[in-house]
Amino acid sequence: MTDTPAIRWACGTNQWKSGFTGFARIEQHERAMKVTSACGFDAIELTAGTGRWDPMGRPENIVLNFGSVAHFKLRLREWGIHQVSSCFLDPLQMSFEELHHGLDCTDPAQHAALLEQAAVFARFLAEVGAQVLVLRALPPHGRHGGLSAERQAAAAACWNAVGAMTASLGIRTALHLDALAPLRQADELAAWLDQLDPATVGLAMDTAELTMAGHDVVAWYRRFHARVNHIHLKDALAVDTLNEYQAPNAERALLLAGGQRGVPRWFGELGSGLVDWPGLMAALRDTRYAGWLVVESDKGPAPQAASMMQNAWTIRHELQPLLAG
Amino acid sequence: MSAIGKPLGGRHLRYAYMDHWRVDTAQGQVSQYSSIERFDAFLKQIAGVGYEAIETFDFHLGALRDLFGSLEAARAHMQSRGIDRVLSLFHAVMYDARQSTPHVRATHDRMAGYAEYIMKSSAGLGVQNFIVMPAGLYFDVEPVTDDKIRACAELWNRIGKMTLEGYGVKTCCHHEFFCGIRSAEQLRKFYEWTDPRYVFLCLDTAQHVIAGVDPVDLFVQLRERVAGFHLKDTHHVDTQGDYRRKPDAEVMAPTTARWFYEMGTEGGLVDFPALYGAMKDTGWQGWVGIEHDKADVGGGNYPESTAVAAWTIRHVLRPIHD
Repeated sequence: MTDTPAIRWACGTNQWKSGFTGFARIEQHERAMKVTSACGFDAIELTAGTGRWDPMGRPENIVLNFGSVAHFKLRLREWGIHQVSSCFLDPLQMSFEELHHGLDCTDPAQHAALLEQAAVFARFLAEVGAQVLVLRALPPHGRHGGLSAERQAAAAACWNAVGAMTASLGIRTALHLDALAPLRQADELAAWLDQLDPATVGLAMDTAELTMAGHDVVAWYRRFHARVNHIHLKDALAVDTLNEYQAPNAERALLLAGGQRGVPRWFGELGSGLVDWPGLMAALRDTRYAGWLVVESDKGPAPQAASMMQNAWTIRHELQPLLAG
Repeated sequence: MSAIGKPLGGRHLRYAYMDHWRVDTAQGQVSQYSSIERFDAFLKQIAGVGYEAIETFDFHLGALRDLFGSLEAARAHMQSRGIDRVLSLFHAVMYDARQSTPHVRATHDRMAGYAEYIMKSSAGLGVQNFIVMPAGLYFDVEPVTDDKIRACAELWNRIGKMTLEGYGVKTCCHHEFFCGIRSAEQLRKFYEWTDPRYVFLCLDTAQHVIAGVDPVDLFVQLRERVAGFHLKDTHHVDTQGDYRRKPDAEVMAPTTARWFYEMGTEGGLVDFPALYGAMKDTGWQGWVGIEHDKADVGGGNYPESTAVAAWTIRHVLRPIHD
């Protein structure tokens, strides 16, 4: 799928794997990539993982399962995928390979390890011909509460170092703000952005996460578009109106269990929820957005292919015409 | 009506469910530890077919605390549903020679410390067994030498003494078919070199069959060391050396998409009646764990597998023993 030379479409891969040992076999990945290709996508965003059950989730695993990065690219091409756009890395997840239980960008003592882990993926992305390393921007609010000035400064210093490192490899750094992140107020975010180097560190805008967090995505994008260098597209079906993102176990209690209101599902197919797609497409056109639009189907029901196929229709018949004006 | 919801156990045996459960939701497949409602439904379903305890992984301890406020409160909730305790904790350690793997003696202090941390942090659940894989992945251990088996034995003697004398919990070794101590000869040496007071066997029927070891014979040989079971079935013996193939034998073996099935599966290779006969002959009594990990591979599901296994106990195995 292409629109203008500046915009390219890719598909996320984070909808497939549930649990450590699920979606581990190569033939499952082959079918997933064929589904992706059949939907019209020729580019994918990888998701960083850990452990031996994630054959595309670690550079070492890719070499072990495919023989080399070059052979990995060849297999992807056989399946109809010609490009890896990016990779999403959540440093807060444990890593068997780096021997940690999660790295926190707001803690300076963990910066060296975080930089080294990011470098593992940045080097791989450069080798595979990708462009963007997408990183979870901040620990969830439940971990430290609203971030102190010291923690904000530490996080900014961390990402500036990561941004410089990836830039040296030709890879863009994009910070992904999710629905559980602190700095929910746009002014708070603007103040934090002042501490980030705009030349090397951008924002990955996730339409559903921001909507769930209470933002008007179109207004948010128009305010911060100069810093946005990567976009995740999915719809949001509900808003965290009770500020339950502040709970210490919000990853489970809010995201997976739906919080006090028992929301069965937060994210949905494009066009099925609360995001103003005509407004957003117009904003992308007006601002001449140049980058990837990564379509996601995570946290949806099985079968995963159904959501992807529906998204393909919506892109072709609704979003691309809107983008073209 | 009289059989509805009755416990599976009788005078000599009681039954625990070894938990690999996942729940299908509008957000896809998720853990039942994600909410009290999902966990409660899980408890009711397994108690509804007669199980009286669960076994689970130690990485779920935090979630149980989050859900119920404390492990004591979690156990009280379980008991209100007919589930008496968390019988066993499976110690989930991704072995790595840099910091934790049994055949590398330099890692033993760290491993023993972590095991003791789990003992302390699991108080309140009624845990009786601490289940461990006694050696790393085969390809990380090989060549499997006597010295490496002795190193593993030293570690589990040390940890087994700590868990039993310090916490009243038996350390039970569970031999995955892809782990470094898997053959009949390796098993013989390991149990000869471990202290029978402190190191026990959790006999997993499918794992041993896949590894080419007769679980009934193993039970007869080691019956006084058997402190628990994971009863599950398989359709396959590993004749192609999958156990030593990188990156993974358990779910990524090119020959076999699914190794493990529930008791009662058509064409299963485990001779459960013979095992129950041996258990009866030797007067074995205690808790029996029922397991069927990866039950959903190929379109199956956990509740159905759990119920089919319960049917097999009630109609095939209880008449033999208990």
